[in-house]
Amino acid sequence: MSLTAALPHDLETLADSLSASADELHERIMRGIRQQQRLLGSNGAPLTHGTAQALFENEVALRQQANSLYVDAASHSLEGMGVTLPELLRLAGEAHDTIRRIDRVKELAGISADLLAMAAAIAAARPEHLAAPLESLKKQLAARHARESA
Amino acid sequence: MKRYLCILLCLLLAACASNPRLQEVRALAGDAPKLAGFNELSQRFRDTYQREQPYLSAEAAQREEAIDRKRHDAYPDFVALHAAATTYLRALGALAAGDTFNYGDQVKQMSEGIKAWPDTGLTDRHVNAYAGLVRLLLRAATGREQDKAVQAMLREGYEPLQGTLDAMVTLLRYFNKNHDNEQRIVLGMLEVEIPYADAPRDRLLSALARSHQQEKLREYRLLGLRHTLAAQNINALRERHAALYRGLDPLPAIDTASALPPNTRSAIAKGAQP
Repeated sequence: MSLTAALPHDLETLADSLSASADELHERIMRGIRQQQRLLGSNGAPLTHGTAQALFENEVALRQQANSLYVDAASHSLEGMGVTLPELLRLAGEAHDTIRRIDRVKELAGISADLLAMAAAIAAARPEHLAAPLESLKKQLAARHARESA
Repeated sequence: MKRYLCILLCLLLAACASNPRLQEVRALAGDAPKLAGFNELSQRFRDTYQREQPYLSAEAAQREEAIDRKRHDAYPDFVALHAAATTYLRALGALAAGDTFNYGDQVKQMSEGIKAWPDTGLTDRHVNAYAGLVRLLLRAATGREQDKAVQAMLREGYEPLQGTLDAMVTLLRYFNKNHDNEQRIVLGMLEVEIPYADAPRDRLLSALARSHQQEKLREYRLLGLRHTLAAQNINALRERHAALYRGLDPLPAIDTASALPPNTRSAIAKGAQP
């Protein structure tokens, strides 16, 4: 049965990675909220209500894209996208790691937004929408690496 | 007349009871309702949006509508998988039970039913083979022929059923992961918002939200367990079916083929030589 073929499995792996990123993002949001509550503003990055909501919106969207990929895997409706899935998986994994380590809210919002746009292009089977977020994501991750090693 | 039917039935049942394989096949078929968990969880998967909607922002709701359509589009395939597996098991059980009284109707229903589900992995070849086997039993309902018919059906149906059950387990894994994300969207929204409802005038809101949060936690924990149980049930059934298949008599190809009517002969021979 084609339901258990290789392609759905790759989609599932990518969706798993997006879900894991959403988990990290959620941890991060809750940490910020707790800091805000304790009024430890000087230490770390506390979150205002509005920022928390905006970040949570990204988390929801990541989960939605993951779920969209799970349906695709279930109905094996997605044709080849012209991008190599291993590359996407690697980038998604890197983004996932970065979200866990990141401090600055602005960076967090930027990376999760790019990851999101990438996932949306895949889930909607629109390869033409994939290039821009992919480039931006690569750039952000590279900049982050440069700062970290500096 | 009724009494004769009863006696006949008793005799048939007694004849069946003497054959352990037929007993096992009947027990396996009797477990077909355990696949119902898959159906319920498919429905729950299909209706994800309905449950998530109150917790979504306008933009998120809009995004979800597209995913909702995909889930609804895929749903008939899930139902078809379940229907194919249960129909096969029911037919197998009917053969093993020697329930000859309404075979005509059953055969008709079975072949009509299966033909109504394209893309289920059950081809015309299988449908014809089932129908032929059941018809065969109508003619010769002796214990020996019945056992042969059951064995032939186990052989013929082995790969389609294993493949179908395998697909169902894979789907359950996707359903469960989808369920996890739904849970985290719903509970996460409450978790993010509740800390900000801490002003004195929000006390009522905060209390209701916390109580709702507890309820939802319980619901999702229970559903998580149901996904696990449904997958376990399918795997157990698959294992028992495989064990029955492994225990089949070695097939003397010429003997069996000549004992069957011509329309089933080719179908069975194909399935018998993997």
